[in-house]
Amino acid sequence: MIKIFLNELRRIFSDSGVLIFFIVVPLLYPALYSWLYNNEVVREVPTVVVDDSKSSLSRELIRRLNATPDLNVAAYEENIDEARQHIMRQEARGIVYIPSSFAADIHSHRQTTVSLYVDMSSMLYYKSLLTSLTNVTLDMGSDISVAMLNSQTAREEQIAASPLSYEAVPMFNPGGGYGCFLIPAVLMLVIHQTLILGIGLASGTAREKNSGRKLVLREDAPFGIARIILGKTLCYFMVYFVMACYITMAIPRIFNFIQLADFWQIIAILVPFMLATIFFALALSCLMQQREHVMLIIIFTSVPLLFISGIPWPVSSLGASFKAISYIFPSTFGINAFVKVNSMGASLGDIVFELRALWIQVAVYFLLALYVWKPKRWTQE
Amino acid sequence: MSNKRFIQSLFRVMKREVDSLVHAPIYWFSMIVFPLFVIFFFSELMNEGLPTDMPVGVVDLDNSTTSRKLLRNYDAFQQSHIVAHYSDVNQARRAMQKCEIYAFMYIPQNMERDLLASRQPKISFYYNNSVLLAGSLIYKEMRAISTLGAASVGSAKLQAKGLTQRQIKSVLQPIATDVHAIDNPMLNYNIALSTTIIPACLALFVLLVTAYSLGIELKKNRAKTWMTMAENKVMIALAGKFIPQTVIFTLVVWFYQYWLFVHLDFPHNCNFLLIMIVGLILVVAAQCFAIFVFSLLPTLRMSMSICALWGVLSFSISGFTYPVTSMSPSLQILSNLFPMRHYYMIYQMNILHGYSLHYSWMYIVALLVFMMLPLFMLSRLKKIFYKYVYLP
Repeated sequence: MIKIFLNELRRIFSDSGVLIFFIVVPLLYPALYSWLYNNEVVREVPTVVVDDSKSSLSRELIRRLNATPDLNVAAYEENIDEARQHIMRQEARGIVYIPSSFAADIHSHRQTTVSLYVDMSSMLYYKSLLTSLTNVTLDMGSDISVAMLNSQTAREEQIAASPLSYEAVPMFNPGGGYGCFLIPAVLMLVIHQTLILGIGLASGTAREKNSGRKLVLREDAPFGIARIILGKTLCYFMVYFVMACYITMAIPRIFNFIQLADFWQIIAILVPFMLATIFFALALSCLMQQREHVMLIIIFTSVPLLFISGIPWPVSSLGASFKAISYIFPSTFGINAFVKVNSMGASLGDIVFELRALWIQVAVYFLLALYVWKPKRWTQE
Repeated sequence: MSNKRFIQSLFRVMKREVDSLVHAPIYWFSMIVFPLFVIFFFSELMNEGLPTDMPVGVVDLDNSTTSRKLLRNYDAFQQSHIVAHYSDVNQARRAMQKCEIYAFMYIPQNMERDLLASRQPKISFYYNNSVLLAGSLIYKEMRAISTLGAASVGSAKLQAKGLTQRQIKSVLQPIATDVHAIDNPMLNYNIALSTTIIPACLALFVLLVTAYSLGIELKKNRAKTWMTMAENKVMIALAGKFIPQTVIFTLVVWFYQYWLFVHLDFPHNCNFLLIMIVGLILVVAAQCFAIFVFSLLPTLRMSMSICALWGVLSFSISGFTYPVTSMSPSLQILSNLFPMRHYYMIYQMNILHGYSLHYSWMYIVALLVFMMLPLFMLSRLKKIFYKYVYLP
């Protein structure tokens, strides 16, 4: 087993293709992604205002809108058609239209309506503009109704305007940052995909070099298949453990993402996650006729795997068949365990389900790898 | 070389390529099976458009007629579904950490009494922002239900004060908003994501297959016979090799466009012919980009790795979800090096919104520039095909 381990180690470090996936990609990708999303939120979305009211009240509304962090009044136009030109030229993402009756409505105690048109090229523009406008109109509205009601005391006025108050508490990602939401899942996925790619490449090479396109040579056979697999696993695990620690512990720190998990909690997830992934990759190796096939087969799965993990798209809205598919891959449980512990501060007790699933995968994929790697034709040769 | 010989050798190379495509299962998979899988996968995954009935919890310490009515009305909302009642906040928080629920509403003790006594009770919602989409959609519904709840209590009071319905409306919400989400009024996520993620996946396949099929010629030592067949003309060799692939990939892209814009009736405000042309341009631009990468790094693994990097980064840097304008300025410039970025701009400007090409010509030019790239590399490619040997 030690010999297999050393052989495999030597092979990894002499194969630059494998090194790309074991060292270069895990070092670069997470940093690159974190950089992409490091601004986290969409601020100061350029917006065109069409103010038909031209009153002090409408100017007050515009002033308040411009003061919000998410909206920036980029231009004023006389009508909607001219405002649309800005959107077509991609200079603005939304139009706020204040009707000519705006001030008159408010003064004569009629409900007035402000319209918002949003360019739907990104949902995040919509979210920013809608939040800004809703908050500003509600605030300004309650000021207006307080003035309007003319009650005895200020407190009474306030209560009449909103008898039931509410507070909203965003949990675990209070800023609503896009990076804090997506990056933890992406990090685990990078570990998963690069491990499978590296191992697939290494096994593909072995198959190309070995006679008869077999995964294992007869000379190695005396070691027994289990020992070969364990030796290789040990090697991959040791090399990759360093990278996994860098990805899960250093990257969030460098880029200031949420990190609630402590070292041992992450280890408790990483160990079964990496073992399951390694055995899974070894079992998959039987599909790789050429070493490069693994890239054609694996790379495109990254995005579907991310989606069925339940982070970008809520798991409660995944169909049964998608959920079933997601249970095949270690990434699903790895991502969920990591996000729960790291972003939501869950304890290991809260992720028993994921950990158990990962350990079951470790066992199943180990047996599958044994079965796949067992050469079928030795007896005939 | 006469025209006739030119055509003959082109056809010879094309025939050779078709033969090798047909006989290698990996091409079947990565040109037809996987792309079709991706098309159906994403369009089916989000077919609801918006997630519905997401599990939420309730901590109702008041347990009065008013609170129960509020919760009943809330449960009738489309996106939230009350699955559990908890006796305290800690329990609910733990359920949230286990992702059993995405949010919970906290109703304090004596809410009903405080309401009647005008003491302005406060209800709270806690929502999970680590699952951003679920969190923000549920937040919107919870805010809507408490505004409605407040409105019903408020209007009863104001009626007692002798205000008319119209006045009540103006007191409760003096400024209403009316939101128009242009061309995607239902905020359908399938429309936002399938139209961008699927073509990005297809472009990824084009990049990888192009680099693979070039590299494999060197690996299998077939580059020289290939060149001889093409009468030593790189243009003929490349054209003969890639025209069959262009045809297959373009048909796949057209099928995708048919499936989304015709079968599923996704919004498109332009001629279908333009959609098809944009699809063709995307395929060819991606192919030419991959040929260019290969001519710079003429090994199978390096060119495939770079193409993979480009293809995978496209999902983020094209700005489908997190807009490019919110990234750091250097990334905004970098995004122009990705064919998918330009496709996305053309898609959202011309296909989704139906603006005239007059607004998006620079993105079309950018894709055409990608298509020119291999032309600068012809002599280098020729050298590569004659000299380079495969190194594992």
